[in-house]
Amino acid sequence: MASNAQDNHAPLRAQDGKKDEDDEEDFEYSPFHGIEKGAVLQEARIFHAAQTDSRKCQQVLTRLLYLLTQGESFTKNEATEVFFSCTKLFQNGDANLRRLVYLIIKELPPGSDEVIIVTASLMKDMTSNNELYKGGSIRVLCRILDSSLLQQVERYFKQAIVDKAPVVASAALVSGLHMLRENPDIVKRWSSEVQDAVQSRNPMVQFHSVALLYQLKSGDRLAISKLVSSLTRGNVRSPLAQMMIVRCVARVIADSQAYADQERPFYDFLESCLRHKGEMVIFEAAKAIVELNGVTEAELAPAITILQLFLSSSKPVLRFAAVRILNKVAIDHPMAVSNCNIDMETLISDQNRSIATLAITTLLKTGNESSIDRLMKQMSSFMTEIGDEFKIVVVDAVHKLCIKFPTKFRSMMSFLSSVLREEGGFEYKKSIINAILGIVRTVAESKETALTHLCEFIEDCEFTYLSTQILHLLGEEGPKTSHPAKYIRYVYNRIILENATVRAAAVAALANFGMRVPSLAPRVRVLLRRTLRDNDDEVRDRATMYLKLLGDDATGEQQEPTPRPKVLRGQNVSLAGLERCLREYLDTPMTEAFDMAGVPEKELVPVEASKPGAPGASGSGDLSGDLSLKSDFEEALQQIPEFADLGPLFKSCDAVELVEKETEYTVSCVKHIFASHVVLQFDMTNTIEEQVLEDVSVDVDLAEAEAYEEVLTIPATRLPYGVVAQTYVLLAYEQGTMPFGRMVSTLKFVVKEIDPSTGDEEEDGFEDEYPLEDVYCSPGDYLQRTKISNFRNAWDAQDPDTEVVDEYGIGQRDSLQDAVEAVVETLGLAACEGTEAVPPNARSHVCLLHGRTTAGGSALARVNFGMDRNYEVAIKLTVRGESQDVSESLHAIVAEG
Amino acid sequence: MGFLSKLLSLFGGGSKQVKILVVGLDNSGKSTIIHKLKPNAEKKTSVPTVGFNMEAFEKGSLRFNVFDMSGANKYRSLWEKYYKDAEAVVFVVDTSDKFRMCVVKDELERMLSHAELEKVPILFFANKKDLMNAMSPVECAKYLELETIKDHAWQIVHSNGLTGEGLSTGIDWLAQSLSKKK
Ligand SMILES: Nc1nc2c(ncn2[C@@H]2O[C@H](COP(=O)(O)OP(=O)(O)O)[C@@H](O)[C@H]2O)c(=O)[nH]1
Ligand SMILES: [Mg+2]
Repeated sequence: MASNAQDNHAPLRAQDGKKDEDDEEDFEYSPFHGIEKGAVLQEARIFHAAQTDSRKCQQVLTRLLYLLTQGESFTKNEATEVFFSCTKLFQNGDANLRRLVYLIIKELPPGSDEVIIVTASLMKDMTSNNELYKGGSIRVLCRILDSSLLQQVERYFKQAIVDKAPVVASAALVSGLHMLRENPDIVKRWSSEVQDAVQSRNPMVQFHSVALLYQLKSGDRLAISKLVSSLTRGNVRSPLAQMMIVRCVARVIADSQAYADQERPFYDFLESCLRHKGEMVIFEAAKAIVELNGVTEAELAPAITILQLFLSSSKPVLRFAAVRILNKVAIDHPMAVSNCNIDMETLISDQNRSIATLAITTLLKTGNESSIDRLMKQMSSFMTEIGDEFKIVVVDAVHKLCIKFPTKFRSMMSFLSSVLREEGGFEYKKSIINAILGIVRTVAESKETALTHLCEFIEDCEFTYLSTQILHLLGEEGPKTSHPAKYIRYVYNRIILENATVRAAAVAALANFGMRVPSLAPRVRVLLRRTLRDNDDEVRDRATMYLKLLGDDATGEQQEPTPRPKVLRGQNVSLAGLERCLREYLDTPMTEAFDMAGVPEKELVPVEASKPGAPGASGSGDLSGDLSLKSDFEEALQQIPEFADLGPLFKSCDAVELVEKETEYTVSCVKHIFASHVVLQFDMTNTIEEQVLEDVSVDVDLAEAEAYEEVLTIPATRLPYGVVAQTYVLLAYEQGTMPFGRMVSTLKFVVKEIDPSTGDEEEDGFEDEYPLEDVYCSPGDYLQRTKISNFRNAWDAQDPDTEVVDEYGIGQRDSLQDAVEAVVETLGLAACEGTEAVPPNARSHVCLLHGRTTAGGSALARVNFGMDRNYEVAIKLTVRGESQDVSESLHAIVAEG
Repeated sequence: MGFLSKLLSLFGGGSKQVKILVVGLDNSGKSTIIHKLKPNAEKKTSVPTVGFNMEAFEKGSLRFNVFDMSGANKYRSLWEKYYKDAEAVVFVVDTSDKFRMCVVKDELERMLSHAELEKVPILFFANKKDLMNAMSPVECAKYLELETIKDHAWQIVHSNGLTGEGLSTGIDWLAQSLSKKK
């Protein structure tokens, strides 16, 4: 109706040409303009009339539905009132009115106790002779029937599925899909009727029946794969249904195990669908092919060719669909898409900005270094014209590009900083910041520029979350830059201008400058003291704590700074555990200080997340944790001068306990792996109250770890009761090797007794030793578990000469899944492409594993598992790596283990 | 004038429409009675009504739009939603169900105390008269203390829903009192 009104007036408007005014006028022509809930509820009283005026009632119902779709909310009373008055309209037989009544019952259902009132009326409609009644009532019934009522009318549903009227059949099929969730057992009994409906000549019915049939079988892999093969051979004509089948096929392929050398099932079918006359089928097939797990260039080719044709279609929607798929392909297979580059170039000037955006970001992925500057410029010109969703696509593309062409970081950074200044929603801003951080990780020299941009950003940032994260990052990274002082102003501004959460974060960041840069400490102390009167508890608490750490007792008097523990064990605790311990502590009289030693440690996060080029680093979901570029361990180790020259930390292994629980001392060991060194960190606690230990170290015997050479030991000076202290042993090994080692280790220390009555310490102590469990090193320590998305490509990229194959029996296991987990664990590699999950009841399985070596190369393993009747598991391990040594080292892990 | 009568004839063939609420405990015979009242009704097995059912039939110059309410306990509280614009009430009592007669009395009292139910006529069908141990209409009226009803015109009629006996007597009375009222 609205559009008719507009069309009539179109010639008139063209003359006066004032666009804005016209828009307002347009609005007035909407039949829904100025509709207001109170008034409509008044009008709804006509439903009660003895003589119902069908036309009027329809208008009122339409207005009610309009309000509902506009998000208007009705109180419980209003909804009930309207609902019951609508039920009275069942006395009118007008089919159009009845249709609206059905809709309103669906959209405005009162509580389940009340909605039941229409059941009998709907059942009557369902069994009537009127097709419109039948279809409509079925769609409502599926929402309100419980399983016992459903059983009563089940036979009508079955009849409806094979009803010759398409409206009725479709309604019943779609209802089946809805009811499958609550009443799967009942709906499953209808499958022979649904099967019949697949033969319907009506495209919609065919579509819905394929969808329902698929859902009915979806729990059962075998049945589903049978169904899909019969569907692909059947005579399904309708493009809608055919498209649905392509989707089902895609899911079946995704669920089935892909073997590198086997022909892919259903590929021929997908390929044939590329020649279907329905465009939706073609797109669906192209999408399915493109998303195949480990798709090869040969498999891709036909899909790309057909999509390329659509790029020059006259219909924008087809161009859009094609460029969107190609854009995705370009991430993993830029070469395959580069054939379309000329068409893409044309699309940059497409009237439709969404198409242009996708074209440009595709070109960014497929293009070479020389074209980047030009593309970036073109992109900046229309960033303001596109929606956030597409802006994120652009930003992500730039992010990935920088990993590929690090030398271009300057133009990318300036692009990102300019878009950061523009308006945008949270997700968009987050993606920009994520991209900036990604560049910092890849190109170290970009760090200071990036920090400056981020500083400017928080001056005017409406997102608390982003502000706090950036402040944290400034606190971590700012002190290490050449001019730390220049960041202080930005951070302090936040303390003056922001909400409490941001202020608290700024206080922590500020304090970091004071602690890391001694020359700034006095300034920081002055600033922190000003926040002691903040009206927020958290801000004050933080300020007080940091002032104390900075040697200021909050009265302004100078003190010795409280020494900062070298490695804060506190950073490494499980937060849930800490919370629990604190709660327990609150229940005690709290006469003693809280003991951190009792708090469980958290699972160590592998360092891989912060490595440049690792797949995790390029995704857009990175910002989840904190923005720190380094692990807590790396941070802590860097503070120890002896370890300053070791280079970047490659990996910290999980902590291993070296003593039995509940003994005098607890000692655990964490191995930190560097390019040519290993740092053994021993965390120790003394559980004997009457003793204090001094000069504590761990002696490691390298007789059975000849590949290692001891460089130095850093003892802990003092280990009083209940405190965690560290001692370190630094070992050297030959760069690039992955040596085994078993080190017999002993705790050495000087004991001093404490007089329990006075708490005084004896003057002289005596030397003592305490045997520890052995420390083991294995090649797995020198690998980072990093997943890759395309195993086959990575595998083919490795030199086949590095391949080493062997078979091993690994004994009895409870299940194949068990065996897979054990092998993945010992190898120190990450399972890719979901191969860590063994399908139920499988007798054999292939697991694809990947890891990164200290040299930055790859280690790939393909493990074939087989299990016999006695649950004996055998594996065939095929390894390729950056060198044959790497491959052999991996075999050694299994052979020695 | 011509326009109005045309309109009227569109809805219900020119006869005046009245909205009737049929209530009573479950299994008292409401649906059976309504079914019987419809002209040329085919035979059908009765299943308990879930919620309510709409039926319409003509009687003389009146077109009855009948809301056949479910009598099951959990739906009885929903009757009141339909009191507001009801023009007459038919209350069906199973006279053989002496055991639940006290429940009938409760429900009746609850209905009569409801403000929205204006002074509409109430027709009681003392149903299932054919059954051995059925109460007579007089006994029923006494038990239910119908004589205390002052705000409504009422009548009690002995009926048999299966044969249709007594139904037209009742409906005639209803039609009469409805046309008197207007
Ligand atoms: N013997 C007898 N049975 C009846 C009579 N009226 C109804 N019934 C039966 O009573 C049962 C309940 O009837 P129904 O109309 O469904 O009751 P409702 O729940 O009030 O709608 C059915 O089995 C009817 O056949 C009657 O007058 N005499
Ligand atoms: Mg009934």
